[in-house]
Amino acid sequence: MHKRGLAFYARIYRKILIQDLKSKMSYRADFIISTFGMIMTNLAGFVTFMILFHNFPTINGWDYYHMLFLYGFSLVALTPVQCFFDNNWNLRFMVQSGDFIKYCFRPVNVFFYFISEVFDVKGLGQLAFGIGTIVFAWIKIGIPVTPLVILKLLVFLLTASLFMIALMNFAAATCFWIKGSGYVMVIMFRFKDFSKYPSSIFEGIFKIIFTFIIPIAFIAYYPSLVILEPSNVPILSWISPLYGILFVYLSYRFWMLGVRKYDFTGS
Amino acid sequence: MSEYSGNEAVVMKNVCKDFKVLNRHEGLKGSIKDLFSRDYKTVSAVKDVTLTVNRGEIIGYLGPNGAGKSTTIKMMTGVLEPTSGELLVNGKVPYKNRTENCENIGVVFGQRSQLWWSLPLIESFKLLRDLYMVPEKDYEGMIELYRSLVDIEPILHKPVREMSLGQRTLSDILAAFLHNPAIVFLDEPTIGLDVSMKAKIRELILGLNKEKNTTVILTTHDMGDVDALCKRIVIIDKGTKIYDNDIEHLKNYFGSYRTLKLKLSDDTWEEYLIDEKTTDVMDVIMEKQKEKKIKDVKIDEISTEEVIKKIYEGSAK
Repeated sequence: MHKRGLAFYARIYRKILIQDLKSKMSYRADFIISTFGMIMTNLAGFVTFMILFHNFPTINGWDYYHMLFLYGFSLVALTPVQCFFDNNWNLRFMVQSGDFIKYCFRPVNVFFYFISEVFDVKGLGQLAFGIGTIVFAWIKIGIPVTPLVILKLLVFLLTASLFMIALMNFAAATCFWIKGSGYVMVIMFRFKDFSKYPSSIFEGIFKIIFTFIIPIAFIAYYPSLVILEPSNVPILSWISPLYGILFVYLSYRFWMLGVRKYDFTGS
Repeated sequence: MSEYSGNEAVVMKNVCKDFKVLNRHEGLKGSIKDLFSRDYKTVSAVKDVTLTVNRGEIIGYLGPNGAGKSTTIKMMTGVLEPTSGELLVNGKVPYKNRTENCENIGVVFGQRSQLWWSLPLIESFKLLRDLYMVPEKDYEGMIELYRSLVDIEPILHKPVREMSLGQRTLSDILAAFLHNPAIVFLDEPTIGLDVSMKAKIRELILGLNKEKNTTVILTTHDMGDVDALCKRIVIIDKGTKIYDNDIEHLKNYFGSYRTLKLKLSDDTWEEYLIDEKTTDVMDVIMEKQKEKKIKDVKIDEISTEEVIKKIYEGSAK
């Protein structure tokens, strides 16, 4: 039996990615239209944000540029789930039609093999948009540029991205047990919009839900505080990397449990 | 390649597989009830099947729809765990060692391509070579073997999505053999294909089996596949094994059966299956002639298709 370690998976992923990009380029019209669609979606989101802020100059003590930073932060943090984990959206169709079984016939991790099949280029536009917004807000707020701050930014962006990945894994894997898992995914995906606002606007029960159960407060709010308010970072911000890793791990186990429990009925 | 050196590719001993199915209630009220219901019934898909498949064999694994064929294959491939009994594939328990088992098997599910949809076949081959960690020399050797068996040039640089069904099936079969697995499972490999493509695919399977001594477990409803490929057939129905022997034995067993075809005065053909041990063919013809004028008579040996039909019918009684 061959040993397949991290290096093996990284190599395979890179090869699949290159092939996938090559074939995507061959559908030129599709590529152009989806890129255009992505730009429009981001612009629309941005315009909504501007209109909102035109009417409410501060939200819970957060001014325009801080909000803009949060907005950009969440856009960047949501890029990995969009780019690398987009196949989760197809999971329920594959499971219902029985096509999912083909992912179980290869001598590699089923989750990896399934997820590696789709790389969504549209996420890259969102990434560019997000980076632009962060840089703009960064300059306007006047946060000092030091290697330490940059390092913190990268670590906490990565942390933030883990939460949405985990949420979508959980939501997608529900299809192994229930038929209406599409709704679960859509609801979870909608929740990401809340991540663009400071979680201090949520009170009581909502605060608990959005912090621990459906932790969207970690998608931008808590991690970005490390950069925005370095003198007053809550403990939840510091533990967010560990919590993120744990959350992704749990979602992976849940996903794989679904594969194991599933009957694969029908031929 | 497997380290297991035994001569058995698959050993099944008293293997059973049960599924728990929710007893569904009707109507909206029923659906709400179902949400909280613990009311399950057990359905036995495979019952007490004992079977040994030796290396290099091509066996036809037959049975009517819903007989438990797919469930058996899913257990052998390590996707499902048997409820009870012992199952060894290449000497290992497949469900406990799924990835290891997958290194030594190849699977083709008719009509369901497992290749990367948008990639040219050659790129899919290269990815599979990397996934299975096939040494370069073995890979080259396999491609050479493919070239000698079929004309792969027209499909090698074609994306799978642009292929005809026949080309896609051919590609899937080639992909399943690429890592030189000990066992290949073929589920309805010729379904929906034209006659010449069917012949081509059967020839390819025979050629690969001969060259590489690969065990092939074939499920099909096409008796042409069985006649062309299998020396031995196993038939299951309602989860139970009802026949396991040489195909020749089967024909001898039903050897006294003849298909009598009569062309009547109104140009229609009527068919009768007659056991010569109990009924005389001439008697039937005479009897018929009293009712209608007979223009033509044909007597055929029983086909595999009819034999299998008789076995299915026999088990249904």
